[in-house]
Amino acid sequence: MEAVVAVLLGLPMTLLVTAAAFAIGLVGGIPLMLGLRSRHRVVRLAVRFVVDLIRGIPPIVWLFVLFFGVSIGALRFNALAAAIVGLGIISAAYLAEIYRGGFATLPAGQTEAARALGLGRRSTFVRVLAPQAARTALPSVTTFLLALLKDSSIASTIGVTDMVFAANTFVRQNPMTAGLTPFFVAAAVYVAISIPLAIVARRLDARMRRSA
Amino acid sequence: MDLSLYLPRLLDGLGVSLQLTALSVVFGYALGLVFALGVSSIHRGLRWPALVVVEVGRGIPALVVLYIVYYGLPAVGVLLTNFWAAAAGLTFTVAAYSSEMIRAGIQSVPRGQGEAAAALGLSRLPTFARVILPQGLRSSIPALMGLAIQSFQGTSLAYSISVNELMSQAYQVSSLTFAYLTVYVVTGVIYAVIAVPATWVSVWVEHRLARGHA
Amino acid sequence: MPQLITEANELATAGVTISHLSKSFGSNLVLDDISMTVAPGSVTALIGPSGSGKSTLLRCVNLLEQPDRGTVTVGSTTIEAGAKVTDRALLALRRQVGMVFQSFNLFPHMTVLRNVAYPQEKILGRSRAEAEERALTLLERVGLRDKAQQHPGRCSGGQQQRIAIVRALALNPRAMLFDEPTSALDPEVGVEVLAVMRELADSGMTMIVVTHEMQFARDVSDHLVVMADGHIIEEGDPRAIMAAPSQERTRRFLSAVLER
Repeated sequence: MEAVVAVLLGLPMTLLVTAAAFAIGLVGGIPLMLGLRSRHRVVRLAVRFVVDLIRGIPPIVWLFVLFFGVSIGALRFNALAAAIVGLGIISAAYLAEIYRGGFATLPAGQTEAARALGLGRRSTFVRVLAPQAARTALPSVTTFLLALLKDSSIASTIGVTDMVFAANTFVRQNPMTAGLTPFFVAAAVYVAISIPLAIVARRLDARMRRSA
Repeated sequence: MDLSLYLPRLLDGLGVSLQLTALSVVFGYALGLVFALGVSSIHRGLRWPALVVVEVGRGIPALVVLYIVYYGLPAVGVLLTNFWAAAAGLTFTVAAYSSEMIRAGIQSVPRGQGEAAAALGLSRLPTFARVILPQGLRSSIPALMGLAIQSFQGTSLAYSISVNELMSQAYQVSSLTFAYLTVYVVTGVIYAVIAVPATWVSVWVEHRLARGHA
Repeated sequence: MPQLITEANELATAGVTISHLSKSFGSNLVLDDISMTVAPGSVTALIGPSGSGKSTLLRCVNLLEQPDRGTVTVGSTTIEAGAKVTDRALLALRRQVGMVFQSFNLFPHMTVLRNVAYPQEKILGRSRAEAEERALTLLERVGLRDKAQQHPGRCSGGQQQRIAIVRALALNPRAMLFDEPTSALDPEVGVEVLAVMRELADSGMTMIVVTHEMQFARDVSDHLVVMADGHIIEEGDPRAIMAAPSQERTRRFLSAVLER
């Protein structure tokens, strides 16, 4: 059916926005997490404030700020860039929090043992703590990716031609015949993509809990 | 740039956003409890439909749910205002997410509680209603608080179906004044001013709950 | 010393009979054709190494575990394994037998008073006033009346266990089951609980106690049952068995335990 094709044409954009924002978040979350765990109180509080602020503002507002609001000289974000950067910043904030949680649940004994062995701060962090924290955080990261996939639909509100945009356009262009089909198609694709991801997440979570 | 001119409009929108939040949280959590009970049920006839509804509700973006409600209800003859369509859509999404949190809370109640109640001779209903459920709900409180804050932010999506909440007002004001950056930044600040302290409160409540239960 | 069971008990305490009980978990045979009789008013101590099946046996008495074969009789109520057990029969059995758990299992969201009063209201149909009065009386007897308005989380382990005993007693059970009641407690604290159990025994309650407390088993119980690998390997007078066990297995177990 026409509707199915029309909506599926938006799928690459949905995936692109999700993947790009996720990548930015994965990387950007690291410095933020380091800031959250900093030894210096001022740094910690400042980063905490920034992270809370980013997470306290709805994604759609961020996208509008970047798309409509930012203009440096003649430079403006196009819709896609605004969506990716906006969702990327938000992802960084959420992932920083998830990373921090991964470290927080590490037994204190790990750091002590590493120090007792004579490992320096950086080695302790990179070789002992980080790998374990990463494993703990993995299920939450997967869950977040699922949420990000759905949030990518917000990009449609600033004109990114993802599945929801395609569905909306199709319905507006065919008001008599379209019905709800385009949206059901989009919904089905979202569910279809998230099912394998959710299964992976649940398996990771179970495996983690068993080895705890 | 004259704040005093457009701030009242934005605050009107905020009022609508808060109304939507209250509606979706109250009705969403109640419905979520029903879904959670369904998912936990031993009867397959209850469990499978509940599971499907919850997974669909959690798997579909809230924005899509809103569009479906907006375009779809009139088609089946249900005529709601945009506001109530948004309330219905958001309630459904909140119900799906909250049901998982409530279910997890119920499952986290230690087995010994059910055994002690059974050993005393309490039948199934009072065991569930007076022993398991209260403890389960209490465990879910932190997650449910977080969800309430997220649903407040989620009301911003109602912009897309022309509800006059905060985001819509921001769009209209910025279109009138051309002060895009300022207006949207102020809007973001308004959201943050409510969401961020609310998060701090919920973390504080979480700590208090954990302490009282050592 | 004030008695924990008063003449207010309408029913006399009951005996417990277990006949040819078998239970498997998957392919693991945990109870192998066990038969045991507990006379009314007597105290039976169940001891043995972990994995011997003693907890499972205890939990079969009030059907927290469903045996695969055999029968359980409490007083005049008999339940047969395999036959469909109605909810009503199950409740009837459980309302005659009280159980105290290793992890206390008090209801944390209710006050101590409500913990003891609520089951009475729900199961015995007592009025709230009646139930709470009885609760306070019992709490007084174990010296915990001042904890009535607090939540269990504020009480120490020993206090919680004594409250758990009182919660079960408030329902006028005809027999009491104890599943390692002091295993989760420090030794000094365990003494408080054992004292209450001793008092209960002196009052004439039928008790089956799974325990590692050898002194309690020797001094308080009338009958000792030693289990290993799903069988009863020895039973009889506690003092006699502990002084001179007739089975090698018993000897090994006792020497290991008493050495600690």
